Amino acid sequence: MIGFVRLVVFGFVGLSVVYLLVSAYSRSVERERLEKEWDAGGVDQGRDTYILEGMKRYQHGLRRKLIALVYVIPAVVIAVIVYVVNHQ
Amino acid sequence: MWGALKWTVGLLLLVIVGLFLHYTLPQRDVVRITNTYNRLTTVGENAIFYATPDVGTAESGTTRDIRFIEAVRPNGKVIVYRNEDTGWIWPPFFKYDSSNLQAKASDMKSTAEAPKWVAITKYGWRIAWLSIYPNAISLRPVEGPDVSFFPWLNITIIVVLVLLVLIIRRMWLQFWERMVDPAVKSVGQTLDDLDASADTARLNARTRWGRFRAWVGSLFR
Repeated sequence: MIGFVRLVVFGFVGLSVVYLLVSAYSRSVERERLEKEWDAGGVDQGRDTYILEGMKRYQHGLRRKLIALVYVIPAVVIAVIVYVVNHQ
Repeated sequence: MWGALKWTVGLLLLVIVGLFLHYTLPQRDVVRITNTYNRLTTVGENAIFYATPDVGTAESGTTRDIRFIEAVRPNGKVIVYRNEDTGWIWPPFFKYDSSNLQAKASDMKSTAEAPKWVAITKYGWRIAWLSIYPNAISLRPVEGPDVSFFPWLNITIIVVLVLLVLIIRRMWLQFWERMVDPAVKSVGQTLDDLDASADTARLNARTRWGRFRAWVGSLFR
């Protein structure tokens, strides 16, 4: 029982680190994409405003929310393993 | 000299990772169970190959009562499995039904004259001189001794692991490109590099193989 609690606690801490890293990466990729888009030309706005607005759109977008799967997928995998190993 | 050293270290790492996966990933043996019992077992220097002491099957640090399953392979050689809970951290089988598994194994006991073949899913190795045994995870009856399994699960796990490594590499390179490089390199140098890589890209794009390599390279950039 104490082992299960330990798994949940350490798992949550570990996955939170992964979450932070992945979200930083995703933001970085999005910013790079916006920069390249502006550099390619054809945008009327200033560079900084264009990137700032793009990042605001990203903050409310679906991709940022999908990063929460970092928590969901391991939990589901563990639940499936527990079921298959012990209850079949 | 440096090249040889790099190859040696790389090969060594590959062997270690391979052995680690071979120990940890589940495999299925087709066997005939001959006996099931538990025996007080002293776990000492080889403790790394047994369950951690806190999972419930182990009462004290060095001596514990462990369930064993004895079996015979189709080729007549014997194999002995231990049957321990795995606990909640590693290896990640999260097994806590050792008692039930032992009951099932006892139920499937058979003789050479009237064999009942079962597929035992296990991880680990049987090494006699270290007194270590593979841990049985689950078992089910099979038709005969010649049943073979395609390791779908293990292939999936290895593919996922490779993808994770590639993702980590990609993230690291992105971090390097966006955070470290701009801080280190002067603007002029960066432009020079861009020019040079554009030239090589143009050169490479002439052949199909070069384009393929450029595409593979772009995955890692």
